[in-house]
Amino acid sequence: MEKEQLRERLASAAGMPKDVTMKAAVITVLGNFEACIENYRGITEYTECLIRIQTKGGQIRFTGRHLQVEYYTNDEMKITGRIETIEFTHKEGRE
Amino acid sequence: MIRSFIRYLRGYVKIRAEGFSPERFLNICSSHQILIWGLRPVPKGYEMYMSVRDFRRLKPIAKKTRTKIVLDGRYGFPFFLFRYRKRRVFFIGAFLCVALLKAYSLFIWDIHFEGNDRWPDETLSEYLRSEGVSPLMLKSAVDCPGIVKSIRKEYNDIVWVSASVDGSRLKIQIKENEDVLLGEDAEVSEKKTPTDLIASSDGVITSIVTRSGVPQVHVGDRVEKGDILVLGRVDVADDSGEVTGYQYQRSDADIFADTTLEYRDEMSLTYEEKVYDGKKKYEPYIRLGKFTISVGSISNKYEHSEILSKERQLKAGENFYLPVSLGIKTARSYALEEKTYSQDRTRELLSRNFRRFCDDLAEKGIHIRENDVKIHLYADSAVASGTLFLNERITEEADTEILTIERKETDESVGTDD
Repeated sequence: MEKEQLRERLASAAGMPKDVTMKAAVITVLGNFEACIENYRGITEYTECLIRIQTKGGQIRFTGRHLQVEYYTNDEMKITGRIETIEFTHKEGRE
Repeated sequence: MIRSFIRYLRGYVKIRAEGFSPERFLNICSSHQILIWGLRPVPKGYEMYMSVRDFRRLKPIAKKTRTKIVLDGRYGFPFFLFRYRKRRVFFIGAFLCVALLKAYSLFIWDIHFEGNDRWPDETLSEYLRSEGVSPLMLKSAVDCPGIVKSIRKEYNDIVWVSASVDGSRLKIQIKENEDVLLGEDAEVSEKKTPTDLIASSDGVITSIVTRSGVPQVHVGDRVEKGDILVLGRVDVADDSGEVTGYQYQRSDADIFADTTLEYRDEMSLTYEEKVYDGKKKYEPYIRLGKFTISVGSISNKYEHSEILSKERQLKAGENFYLPVSLGIKTARSYALEEKTYSQDRTRELLSRNFRRFCDDLAEKGIHIRENDVKIHLYADSAVASGTLFLNERITEEADTEILTIERKETDESVGTDD
């Protein structure tokens, strides 16, 4: 945990983008019908009303209706449908 | 758009992954750089699309995650070919299409000219044909520098030519010489035979401006047709005033004279008018070289008829005329009806003719001073007649008579005796 904090400080001191240094997920949301996600580890659950995505810092939950994964590659995925909420769940034991 | 086309070309499949943890299967797929699209949850698993190449790599992943993979559909060009592999005619057709395209692209199909004002396309393409350059020739046989050279040689007033093959089209760009005067001057200086100026008609001289030659008349002189106005022969006299020789030159002068011209225009008051009764016969035809194929006939039993022909030669592109013409012949029946012009109409027609005659004169630079043309109406005819008083240039070129002077020279030759 110490190491992690140190890295965070270093990164902010150096002015480096955090998606590179800390592998933070990048989510680009377009209206409420499209979301592009980068820097993730994988899908943990996928139904028409819930998509859970595992990232380094925790999970991201997309809830909505008629959710669909347009494409899914190692670097990027795109979700379409009607997005209602985006939630971030942190890893247990952190903070 | 392009992406989906490439997918179609390479072929893709729709699969269903079922099992204990299909999410794990998905994640391993993506970490193996397998592109998945159209992911959709179904009961007990997921449906997705992937390319055929990626599908072949799935087996170890499926085994590892204990996922059952069901192939739901095959799409794309490779599967399309496979499905219709027995339709030979289709493949022959496709092959022929490609082969013909290639074969056709070996020929020049059209010649395009640009920048030509004075020389019409038809003339230029006719000239090129005589040089062996015409549509339907092999593209490899086109010699662009040769074409450029021959056009430059043939047409003096074309100052710049560029020929290039653009697809199956030969493009010829031309720049014409806009300086016309140069050519005319050259023509004048070529003529060096001495000439006189003679009167082209009777009249009274009103003005003389002589540039070269010896004027023989004065303003106010009455001249007759054929009289010498300016002499191209200049006398060379010695101190005693005796003519010892002549110098010859081309005479050049502006000489205007008052002249008269008789005008007479007669017309009949009755005329025949064609009255069409609407009866027509058509004969459309196609002409292939010397052969003509026609439908129907225009042979008829009309009392009076006129035959009208329209023909159009088909062309591909701009200057490639095909040996096929389409045409139609029409026979129209009419009756002749005798009619009479009214007095007003007669006057109008005669004065219109006269006006046209005057306009023609004015166009030639002839000034009309006065006219006493009158219209006389008779029982069955009308006449416009009278005299026009004009002022016009009356010079006409004629060769100068060459005179020789017999000289009395003393014989000064000395005989030598050996």
